[in-house]
Amino acid sequence: MVIVASDSQHPVKLKHPKKHNHYGFREFFQFDPDRGNITDWNGAQNLLTTEDFIIGLVEGLEEEVGDSAAAIMYTIGCEWGQKDAFFFEKWFEKEFDRSMRQANLLFLLETWWWPFTSQGWGRWEVDMGDRRQGFMFINIFDSAVARTLGDVGKPVCYLYAGLFSGFFTELVRKQLGCIEIQCYSMGETYCKFLLGGQDRIDAASFWMNEGANARDIEKRLRDGELLR
Amino acid sequence: MLSQLERLSCEVDGRYASDAELQFLTDYVQSFNLRVQTYQKLQEIEVALVQQTYNKMRSQDPNLFKNGTEDISGKWKRDTLRVLRYVAIAVLMNDPETLRERFLLWFQTIMRAFSAEKGCNATYTVLQEIVKQNLPAAQASLVCPILELTRRSLGTVS
Repeated sequence: MVIVASDSQHPVKLKHPKKHNHYGFREFFQFDPDRGNITDWNGAQNLLTTEDFIIGLVEGLEEEVGDSAAAIMYTIGCEWGQKDAFFFEKWFEKEFDRSMRQANLLFLLETWWWPFTSQGWGRWEVDMGDRRQGFMFINIFDSAVARTLGDVGKPVCYLYAGLFSGFFTELVRKQLGCIEIQCYSMGETYCKFLLGGQDRIDAASFWMNEGANARDIEKRLRDGELLR
Repeated sequence: MLSQLERLSCEVDGRYASDAELQFLTDYVQSFNLRVQTYQKLQEIEVALVQQTYNKMRSQDPNLFKNGTEDISGKWKRDTLRVLRYVAIAVLMNDPETLRERFLLWFQTIMRAFSAEKGCNATYTVLQEIVKQNLPAAQASLVCPILELTRRSLGTVS
């Protein structure tokens, strides 16, 4: 959980400003018990929450707006991802003394996601194999939302889908959508997301409604299938 | 040892630890001198260890130090030296868990981003051989399991 950037400096960072491996719990977070706040390596203020927060968010939204809760969480995720892209650009350049657009792409992406792992959002794996065709896949292991809600028989990681859409849209400067095509909350062992142009997202959504699984969707996309 | 101490302090809240729970401390104290000697030996010969590893790997496959047309020997030496120092502290503290949590988990993702798994596999296989050649058996037996943990973390393609 991240709120706003502050100016306080992490003591380990003051001593070793170029220490890139700083994602262990006690290194990434600076706890200030006197002020009652937690600041991370990149100067952002953090909150520790329990699963109750996630349950409250999801169930509260569902109570207020019913089926629109998913769309709202996706939109929240998009705004978060977009804001985070700007935040990330600044701290990446400061840490590595170069523009993020000059960095090796996979290295850039791993560096972007590590704070999320430290914060408890889960570990990820990026599959850029289909990048030239205009889409890619992201796997999330131990999604905070899915693990909290458990097996509810439907995808639940709309926040993540929005986050990826918002961030990658800023990164590539092209409108990208994201849809979860496999979820821990549907009994799978990990969550899988498709990121791409809206035509691909719409196609995947249609196929999912027809009962296609993630493997079917991957195959159809790679075979060049799209909705007419 | 430090992670084990921390876990112990959580588990024994309000009670005394059992003999079984304190065994790791006894083991650590008994191995302490050997660990300090090993740590100091690694510090003394770190450059030689890395250079011998480099020479052996280069003789086996010079392409391991090429990234496209770029020669990455310098970067390899700096990274390997750094890893060796983290390994040394893990040997001194008998704490592979902290090595894993604070370094290997992160570095594994970076190595994958650069498709360097094959190079890492070779590096930490050869480095174990070089360590066995340069350190007394008792010292090598402390270092090699940590190097093997490093090899499995960094050198395996998922």
